[in-house]
Amino acid sequence: MTQPANRKRFTVPIGPQHPALKEPGHFAFDVDGEIVQSASVRLGYAHRGIEKATESRTWVQNLYLLERICGICSHIHATAYCLGVEKLAQVEVPPRAQAIRSLVAELERIHSHLLWLGVAAHESGFDTLFMYSWRDRETVMNILEVMTGNRVHYSANVLGGVKYDVDDQQAATIREGLDFLEERTLHYLEVVSTDSLFLQRTRNIGVMDREAAQLSGVIGPTGRASNVQRDVRLDSPYAAYADHPITPVYETTGDLLARFVVRLREQLTSIDYIRMLLDHLPNSPLTTRMPRRVKAGEAISRVEAPRGELFYYIKSNGGDMPDRIHVRTPTLCNIASVAQLVIGQHLADVPMILVGIDPCFSCNDRTSVICQDGQRDMWDWARLRQYGIDHYGTHYTKDLG
Amino acid sequence: MKLGTLFKDAWDALFSEAATEPYPNPHPDETERLRGRLRWNPEGCTGCSLCVKDCPAAAIDIFVLDKKAKQFVMRYDIGRCTFCGQCMQSCRFDCWQAANDDWSLAATTANGFVEYYGKEEDIERVLAGPVTDDPVKV
Amino acid sequence: MMELLQVLVTMLIFPAGLFLLANAMIYQWIDRKLVARLQDRVGPPWYQPLADTVKLLANEEVLPHGVNKWLFIGLPIIGLAGALTTALYLPIAGLPPAYGFPGDLIVTVYMLSMLTLCLGLAGANTRDRFSMVGATRTLTQLFSYEAPFLLALLGPALAAGSWQLSDIMAYASGNWLLFTQPIGFVVVLIGLMGKLEITPFDAPEAETEIVAGALTQYSGRGLALFRLGQWVELVIGLTMIAAFYLGGIHNPLDYVIKTLFPLLIIAALQTLMTRLRIDQTVGMWWRYGALLALVQWLLIFLMGGGQ
Ligand code: SF4
Ligand code: SF4
Repeated sequence: MTQPANRKRFTVPIGPQHPALKEPGHFAFDVDGEIVQSASVRLGYAHRGIEKATESRTWVQNLYLLERICGICSHIHATAYCLGVEKLAQVEVPPRAQAIRSLVAELERIHSHLLWLGVAAHESGFDTLFMYSWRDRETVMNILEVMTGNRVHYSANVLGGVKYDVDDQQAATIREGLDFLEERTLHYLEVVSTDSLFLQRTRNIGVMDREAAQLSGVIGPTGRASNVQRDVRLDSPYAAYADHPITPVYETTGDLLARFVVRLREQLTSIDYIRMLLDHLPNSPLTTRMPRRVKAGEAISRVEAPRGELFYYIKSNGGDMPDRIHVRTPTLCNIASVAQLVIGQHLADVPMILVGIDPCFSCNDRTSVICQDGQRDMWDWARLRQYGIDHYGTHYTKDLG
Repeated sequence: MKLGTLFKDAWDALFSEAATEPYPNPHPDETERLRGRLRWNPEGCTGCSLCVKDCPAAAIDIFVLDKKAKQFVMRYDIGRCTFCGQCMQSCRFDCWQAANDDWSLAATTANGFVEYYGKEEDIERVLAGPVTDDPVKV
Repeated sequence: MMELLQVLVTMLIFPAGLFLLANAMIYQWIDRKLVARLQDRVGPPWYQPLADTVKLLANEEVLPHGVNKWLFIGLPIIGLAGALTTALYLPIAGLPPAYGFPGDLIVTVYMLSMLTLCLGLAGANTRDRFSMVGATRTLTQLFSYEAPFLLALLGPALAAGSWQLSDIMAYASGNWLLFTQPIGFVVVLIGLMGKLEITPFDAPEAETEIVAGALTQYSGRGLALFRLGQWVELVIGLTMIAAFYLGGIHNPLDYVIKTLFPLLIIAALQTLMTRLRIDQTVGMWWRYGALLALVQWLLIFLMGGGQ
């Protein structure tokens, strides 16, 4: 990510405000004609201070705050948090609740991947595919609405279980929707792998082989498209994945096409998995009692979000509010690879390569302090707090009057 | 190698009704569990204020006028509510219900976004008194 | 006096002025509506292009730093004027062309390119990076489709043995050149899409890469005029296709039917394709476009069409 000290370079900025990137991140691409020479990534435009905010909310309230880290993978954030807190509180969640958590998570994966398909198609200028994939995404959102009552923030989780059950009638609605989605997914798989014009924009573009992928620490579907065989659902099963393992999907070519194919095939496995879950829903209550204070201790929880591994660190000091919560979203692992992938590519392919990792910016934003003199430095809370007071004090007191 | 792989979809779309709808539209089919505007039913309420404590958005406040006589007023701010359903989950007496047919929250004025539930004379007392901004804690 | 009045009417109302602008807006709407329906959407209401234009005209025009003011203001006007002028030589709405002289075919084609040229210059005039890249792409694309497009358009001229539009049209109204010169028809139709920067040839204004391409810095009036110019070109191009390849235009109804047919094809192609990179566009035109146009010429000569 270092830039050559060439004064005459022509930099094309993308973001933080740009039609290709409706989310606030900044990329600077140095181009020679149409070919990208080097790239740099800058984050931090939408830092929301959620981790800090969790410390002044109760365990229950945090569930909904953390769910709102991401609009697309909301359920999986809540699941990761619940799993961690339940581990700390040593609460055993009933099996039916576990199964329903997995069920909603897989529905969410379908919803997220269809959304991504549309966005990626739009970046390449294939608006028709965008319109159709988003039209079909309505089906899965309707299913989620039938099940939980909301289309986006389903809030299906509570600490110690889930809120909503699936009855036979709903199971029938879900199955019907899944049949339609399966047919459509197969169709899109055919479209992305046979449409010659579209293939011109995806095949052999942004290639990342397995070694490069592992070097830059790429995870999730982006990694699996480069044959990085990692999937938290298999490696460290949670919820229902321990009893019913999922079939992983890997591709070997590592180009944009592989990223399309991996995600579409994952949708198909998700559809099969949901059908299987509906057939094998265990009988049990939906929730167990959850104490309002959580025993002191630390826990980590890992789940497979639609974009890759999501990691939570939770620390309790025995009170009714957490002591510290740390979130690492999958985009943070993937985003650095963009800076390497785009080098040598056409400017026109840059948006697609960028979107190929399925980035989610505000989820992964964080602030960083760069140590100018190369020294390592640790900031404790007191110092951070003082820094915040000073910073906002000098910047905003005037506006506030 | 093919061209125009979406031809059939496009062709079918030409002769069927569009998937999008102009706004404002009546919601075509409200689902049973849809979480819309919340309604509070004072009947079972014991004034425990669990729902208030658990609400992540500070959208509800309870005014306890007389706990024994079950005189409560509930203030509900729809503008703050995130429709998470936690209050419905927290209340052991099923006082909270989400209306599945009242979900459209677009309005041109802010009036009507704060609602008071309870007996009319109690609400009047709450509105008149100095307690409006500082709910009586139990 | 009467003559002057007539000239004014031809210039300002029909066929070159208001009528053509209204026509352009309606065709623009039809195109958008068709694309929307093909994408399973409702699409805009009929007055949308008019509303867009009125709104843009009412907007403040921002003059960015570092531009040549006269060029910035003048280029959209020249571009639109060029596009409007071509209407004088064409049978707009099925009525005979207002003017004509030998060789007006070439003038028409170059008038049409003027808009593209103005677009390129307008982009290069600003210091904005997206505009620069867009302008480069616009001009690159111009050089790629222009030759095949022109070659293909000369096909009917060869067959008719004249380079005057009215002669060609007279010849074409008896012969459906769609059947005798199908390759030329395809090249011209696709060339028109390239000219109008319609998908798959919308790399010069690819919003996901370079915002609005050459027009990024334009707001208000300049943008409205450029857009109008592009829509006018759509109508002109469709009229030419109808007059040359679809058996000529005899009356207004004929005009509507025969111009809507290629518009439908354009809308369908636009829906079914993804954007090509600029290098792919250039490669495609020179590799296949030019070749096809030449093959068409060869066929015309072999069949003895050239006189
Ligand atoms: S939780 Fe139920 S009973 Fe308790 S205050 Fe709220 S509404 Fe009343
Ligand atoms: S639905 Fe959620 S946000 Fe709304 S009042 Fe209930 S607990 Fe609060």
